[in-house]
Amino acid sequence: MDLNNIKDAFDRVTKKQKVSSSKSQEVIEQMSQEIEQALSGIQSATNSTSPQPDHNLILTELKAKLKEIAPLGQLEGTQKELNLALSKYIKLLEKHFNPDISRSYRNVDFDLHTVNQIIASHFYREGMFDIGDCFVNEAHEESVVDRKTHFLEMYQILESMKSRDLGPALKWATTNHEKLQQSGSDIELKLHRLQFMEILQHGRRDEALKYARAYFSPFANQHLPEIQKLMACLLWAGKIESSPYSELLSPTHWAKLAHELAQQFCNLLGESYQSPLSITIAAGVQGLPTLLKLMNVMTGKKHEWQSMKQLPVPIDIDQEFQFHSIFVCPVSRDQASEENPPMLMSCGHVLCKQSITKLSKNNSTRPFKCPYCPTEVEVGQCRRLYF
Amino acid sequence: MEPLANGNSTVATATTASPTATSLPSLHAGVPSSKLSQLTDSLKLEHQFLRVPFEHYKKTIRANHRAVEKEVSAVMSGLSDAADLSQDDAVQHLNSLVSRLQGLKRKLEDGSRAEHLQAQRCRARLDHLESADADNISEWNNTRLKRILVDYMLRMSYYDTATKLAETSSIQDLVDIEIFYEAKKVIDALQNKEVAPALAWCAENKSRLKKAKSKFEFQLRLQEFIELVRSDNNVRAVMYARKYLAPWAATYMKELQKVFATLAFTSNTGCEIYKVLFEPKQWDYLMDQFKQEFCRLYGMTMEPLLNIYLQAGLSALKTPFCYEDDCTKEDPLSQESFRKLAMPLPFSKQHHSKLVCYITKDLMDTENPPLVLPNGYVYSTKALEEMATNNNGKITCPRTGLVYNYTEVTKAYIS
Repeated sequence: MDLNNIKDAFDRVTKKQKVSSSKSQEVIEQMSQEIEQALSGIQSATNSTSPQPDHNLILTELKAKLKEIAPLGQLEGTQKELNLALSKYIKLLEKHFNPDISRSYRNVDFDLHTVNQIIASHFYREGMFDIGDCFVNEAHEESVVDRKTHFLEMYQILESMKSRDLGPALKWATTNHEKLQQSGSDIELKLHRLQFMEILQHGRRDEALKYARAYFSPFANQHLPEIQKLMACLLWAGKIESSPYSELLSPTHWAKLAHELAQQFCNLLGESYQSPLSITIAAGVQGLPTLLKLMNVMTGKKHEWQSMKQLPVPIDIDQEFQFHSIFVCPVSRDQASEENPPMLMSCGHVLCKQSITKLSKNNSTRPFKCPYCPTEVEVGQCRRLYF
Repeated sequence: MEPLANGNSTVATATTASPTATSLPSLHAGVPSSKLSQLTDSLKLEHQFLRVPFEHYKKTIRANHRAVEKEVSAVMSGLSDAADLSQDDAVQHLNSLVSRLQGLKRKLEDGSRAEHLQAQRCRARLDHLESADADNISEWNNTRLKRILVDYMLRMSYYDTATKLAETSSIQDLVDIEIFYEAKKVIDALQNKEVAPALAWCAENKSRLKKAKSKFEFQLRLQEFIELVRSDNNVRAVMYARKYLAPWAATYMKELQKVFATLAFTSNTGCEIYKVLFEPKQWDYLMDQFKQEFCRLYGMTMEPLLNIYLQAGLSALKTPFCYEDDCTKEDPLSQESFRKLAMPLPFSKQHHSKLVCYITKDLMDTENPPLVLPNGYVYSTKALEEMATNNNGKITCPRTGLVYNYTEVTKAYIS
């Protein structure tokens, strides 16, 4: 985004402000000088014996001089210019930015308690435990604290992994062995592999062998090739760097595994890997410009907007926010649903059931032409799809 | 053989398009233009971010200037009043004027320092906006979320959390904690049923409130009147009304008359219309009213930024599928709390199909087209190819457990 003209406008403001404030100083200085001069005039008059000008005369002169200086008039001029620059800048901001991003806000009360709980969970899951605690106290949302303990464990495991200590991670994996297997994760083996390589790297071959015997055998059924590869590493104990398996020592394994562990940990907790608050806000930032544009055409239909069940326009957001398959019938433009499911025609094109019913004129044996290719299709040959 | 006209023209446009793409500023080389316009659009939402510190800056400038004007004109009139003084008195008088001007000079210097600090803050915000580009976007977005959260904390009066979050993330210059502390004084007082700080705030911002046709001061005055009636200070109440309520009569006659009638009904009235005026929730109402006026004055949105972005995000994410049992955990709307917030919001709308592979979560498009198993379940080509190579050409449908040969899959054309 080009902010240069906004920056220029701001520079103008600060410049005018400096001019204005030095003008103020100058005016005050001038006034002080005149008054002090008058003062010394009066005082010298008392001390000298020469014909004295009357102190009242000096006062009158002073008045006249100050009137001539017209301090308020002087201040006014620079202030006017400053005011102009100030209001210009504000106008510029309003022109280049969306001055009111709440225009598309629906007047519904968000339940304070729910929002606060979401925020507290966000702090905890992002590892901001102190801030989470502080917030929970201030907002009186004590019930969220039990979520903290889960994530606390995760961050402890990850912390230890950073200092190359797999102890807590392995302990967690062993405790959750069953659940991990159910979800099809091989993270336990990956952790053991990393530990095994760590031992081997330090040349302690016997120890590594012992470790392999103790921990690899339960995985032999499913991961035999992997284990065979690891056992071959034993041959190069202490000098794996120069072996065909040197890749296994890459430090990226640690980072990757930490990432995967966090994912699995959240998965077992029944949580998403990324903070749902972050996701929603990020989607909101991408979606809001479209909603605000929509409000431009909805002016005067505020009420309609407040009660709309579905947005009238699509919101283009990144693919990372696409969590569900949405099928839109290319004929009717309806979104597929349980009642109106997507159907595969014999030619491979897909339409919604209602569109097919319409095209076939409700006659299941009469063939009709696919709207996208010359194929003749029969309703009976159409199959429901599950995305 | 002649190449197809269609194919030819797409190639032609592609080749002519690329030189213009490469001639873009090198800074953004390799970043798709849609990403850039998306970034620009999101930056345009940051009006409040620049406006609030600027309003503060403007306010300080105005206050300093007013102080100068006031003192200078005081000195001027002090001088013109000085006539027919004895010599000693004249000297004394002039001395007092000189020291007054010196005091003003010091005040001006302090004021300039404050102005300078605030100008710096405004500039820091501009720099922060400018710093957003494709390379640091995820970090920048992270900071934005924190800014949004601090804004929420401040509006909800969770000052400790706001301060702590700003400090630990070093974003003090990017949030408006100081400004909200100004509001805190007034809010705390209203909570204790005191109107004085609120009235002082009104006086401080008199011209701007008047311009916005605010009736907040009138409402405060009404409340004070009600409190006098509550304590049976009827005489004082009438005096008070004469002095502070009468000037508003022209604009708010109806409300004035209604409140004035409480003199007859007193605080233990059973009459609904007047009973509500004595209820403690009137103070909560004043507090809300103040918050609104305060936000308006600083150019803030009426709602917390968090709520605005949450609503937009929930609407963008909300689909009928979010409410099904097998909704993926990665979808925020799989959580009860998010579903609850999304309840009164509209569903999103799609004009075109967007299909996500159940197995890989990748988008199924022309690059990675959808394949149909004989049972009607659809997965991406990538996922099924990988499964087939690892299992001797066999495919197991993960949702039904049925096993097929890779040769049995058919292509689906989604337009």
